[in-house]
Amino acid sequence: MDDVTRRVFVKTGAGAAASLVVVGTLGTAAADAKKEHHGHHSDPIVAWIGDPHDGRITVMSGRREVTIRDRKLAERLARAAR
Amino acid sequence: MSSHREAPATSKDPVADNTDTYAFVSPDQPDTVTLIANYLPFEAPFGGPNFFEFADDVTYYIYVDNNGDGVPDITYAFDFETVVGNPNTFLYNTGPIDSISSSNWNRKQFYSITKTTQAGSQVIASNLSCPPCNIGPASTPNYAALAAQAVHEFAPRRTVFAGQRLEGFYIDLGAVFDLGDLRPFEKLHIGGMADSVGVNSTNEFGVHSIALQVPKHDLTRADPNGNWRSPNAVIGVWAAASRAKATIREPGGVTGCFGPPVQVSRLGNPLFNEVIVPMGEKDLWNSLTPQSDSQFLSYVQHPELAGLLPILYPGVFPNLAGLSAPRADLVAILLTGLPAGIVPGFQNYTGSTYADELRLNVAIPPSSSPNPLGIIGGDLAGWPNGRRVFDDITSVALRAVAGATYPLVDKSYTPDAAAALLTDGLTSANTSYLSQFPYLGTPVSGYDTAPLSLVS
Repeated sequence: MDDVTRRVFVKTGAGAAASLVVVGTLGTAAADAKKEHHGHHSDPIVAWIGDPHDGRITVMSGRREVTIRDRKLAERLARAAR
Repeated sequence: MSSHREAPATSKDPVADNTDTYAFVSPDQPDTVTLIANYLPFEAPFGGPNFFEFADDVTYYIYVDNNGDGVPDITYAFDFETVVGNPNTFLYNTGPIDSISSSNWNRKQFYSITKTTQAGSQVIASNLSCPPCNIGPASTPNYAALAAQAVHEFAPRRTVFAGQRLEGFYIDLGAVFDLGDLRPFEKLHIGGMADSVGVNSTNEFGVHSIALQVPKHDLTRADPNGNWRSPNAVIGVWAAASRAKATIREPGGVTGCFGPPVQVSRLGNPLFNEVIVPMGEKDLWNSLTPQSDSQFLSYVQHPELAGLLPILYPGVFPNLAGLSAPRADLVAILLTGLPAGIVPGFQNYTGSTYADELRLNVAIPPSSSPNPLGIIGGDLAGWPNGRRVFDDITSVALRAVAGATYPLVDKSYTPDAAAALLTDGLTSANTSYLSQFPYLGTPVSGYDTAPLSLVS
């Protein structure tokens, strides 16, 4: 979260179901996904959360993307963005 | 128009706006097919100091479907990289550009081609040079020869060009967008003005073109052995552009692109998204592949324009006004291809899947005396058998929508007399095409273009 909170949160409100885009470098929550795709640890990433309550987080680095499900993290990010 | 600024999103993203797509048996190399995808509409030739170029953050595609399922079997992806020689000057060029490697050209572009088939993806060419834009006699002397240096035979008998060309599509936009006015028929229009001659609204504009020429057997699923009746003879072609799923802009002008490419523009048959698809679904249509086009079937069966013509030209289209049956002729032309037995000596049928593709029967040889009206003009080598750079697709589309092609599926129908005559008055193009690859003409320089001459 430290990497993430230092960076930019862009809130793209879409009615009641707010969406989040998080820009940061790969942190612990996304590390597993990153390892699967052999990304470089220093590559910037973007995380897209369409519905924080759903818990799905799409993590993008370079041309790759992977979707993980972490409801607690998604909700923490949503709270941080408010 | 063909597909220039045809959808709300692409109208705001010109560098990803796929304006025209062409597919034809090369007239001078008849064992090859030429595929052309154009982007960046309405390039004013004097549009500097940052002249037009492809985008580094867009991937451009040409797709080929050779089994009729609306899914690409062969994909050519083009990725560009801009290299700035000297960032400490505002100039595009610091002297005459007499070769595409000239150090005087400060903003070069290079590209790679990735080919994807069922067997996988492979970079088949890289570090290919684009030409600069045509600026003027002091900066780009002998432009035709300069641009010719950017024609690359990247493999034996496989040739590519990517760069500025003279716009090949011609249409009287000023009139057509003024409530469907056609200047040669203005007396009959609700506007009630005197008839006049058509105006080519795209005259002297440039466009950025990706042209690829490959042997026919690179594209077909099997050799049709010259038999036009063979299903193997027909390929479906469309082009597209994609942007990264996410773009992040940070202070300092730093932009990052993340995630896989997402399609934002596509084009098979000219005018499909422009005229057939309603406003609220145009951006959706641009994001899809042809296999999804059955959801747009009703718009082809009952095109909005066919209902408007009798209103805009009162009393001129009584038979069209009474034609309420689904337009099976337009469905065949645009979504499935024409089966054998409809037009003597021709078919480009790909099966029952509704998919907007330019369907090219590669066993039909190039015409020795081409007719820009294509098949309805008796020339089997023109649209809707693929599309050539000079085809008068506006007149053909107007006539087809007006009912001229409906007897192909219902011989009891008599088209209105006007249907076979419709034109925007530009049947004879005033655009200078090339007789060899890349076929679209040499762009006009900014120096040689005065703004008022854009309307001539």
